[in-house]
Amino acid sequence: MSSNVLVAVYLIPTLVGFLIVSPLGNSVTSSLADRFPSLKTARGRLLSGLQLISLAGFAVSTQTLWISSKISEGGSFCSSTSTFSCDDLLGNSKLNVDPVFGLSWGLIGMATFALLLFIVFVLKQEPNHPLSERFINIGVLTTGIGLLVIGLLVSYEIQEEKICLYCTTAHIANIAAFVGFFRLRRLHEKRDEWNKS
Amino acid sequence: MNINIVEDENAGTVGSALIKVMSLFFIGIMIIAFTANPISVGTNEGQRAPDIEGKFYNGSGWTEFDFSSYFNTSWQEGDVSGQWVAIEFMDTDCPYCQQSADEYGQYANAFSVNNADWNGPHVNFLASATELSIQGHDSDRAEIEQFRSEYNHNFPYIDDIDQDNMEEWGIPGTPNYFLIQPDGIIAWSSSEHADEKISDAILRLVPRESV
Repeated sequence: MSSNVLVAVYLIPTLVGFLIVSPLGNSVTSSLADRFPSLKTARGRLLSGLQLISLAGFAVSTQTLWISSKISEGGSFCSSTSTFSCDDLLGNSKLNVDPVFGLSWGLIGMATFALLLFIVFVLKQEPNHPLSERFINIGVLTTGIGLLVIGLLVSYEIQEEKICLYCTTAHIANIAAFVGFFRLRRLHEKRDEWNKS
Repeated sequence: MNINIVEDENAGTVGSALIKVMSLFFIGIMIIAFTANPISVGTNEGQRAPDIEGKFYNGSGWTEFDFSSYFNTSWQEGDVSGQWVAIEFMDTDCPYCQQSADEYGQYANAFSVNNADWNGPHVNFLASATELSIQGHDSDRAEIEQFRSEYNHNFPYIDDIDQDNMEEWGIPGTPNYFLIQPDGIIAWSSSEHADEKISDAILRLVPRESV
């Protein structure tokens, strides 16, 4: 399977999750609400969409870390002379790590989406957890910082004149998660809406 | 004796979510650990050599240089068939580089399959020519071509006048030499062996057919 086709495995759930957390989520999921009761409420839809996005983001981040590791072995994964060549970015030892601690961007992505998943799991199990507001704010803040990181990584892509589709999928997942957590925070402020079951 | 028991009915929620997420995280890390064997990229011995980019001159014209084409990642230590790479980071205006240019050219001829006296694998010699940020060190491609011709070198010269490769490799000054295994791993660097010449390093490290 082409590496650029494989990315669809991560991209499709991310985009589906993005649709669910978007304002269109209600109409998109209405036909599924009988089968999945959690989709009947706004809170349930947002948390389900965020769960899907976070899982896909975690998986694609794991894949980017794996690609970086394979390239450092001397192998190649998605090397191409075209613009869509993730090896040129994920295999670049200067660009594939953060400039402060030298940690792989893939590992940072894994940790970030794992944190988001943790927040989603807690809120799904106990929506009125005493720390729910703080958890939602952490989600907004984390994904907000992620937007700045995306700006830096896109600047690398422009500089190298290459596009890494795996990285782009992780970026979309972060943007989608930001939208989801932002809408979750607004919903949390309306207690009646939040507590609808 | 009074015992104060702190009860937190929400602790189970956080705990179970944490266990789920941590399990997932470690599964991800373990998949990577079992299926990949990463080698860090760098310029120390044992690290994978960083890429070298730019145009190179081989006597006929300037064309795009492909550093990865020199390596075979499936090469095994001791295999005498793999081709090694010796690279010099130099500046055509650097007096030390000029002094060692004759010697470097002789090594290129000596450690070649074209030399019947050499019973080891072919060593590809390369030179990455930069322009040091020192007054009087202005350089251009014509100067690189002239330098190569003056010393009768027959190996490729890579244009690094913009110092990109030099920065990527963290080269503190010129000349600086590296010997790279056929799998792209740095076997020897002059900065780690100041008292050893690259020719001695080749004789010491490159496997040869027994006579």
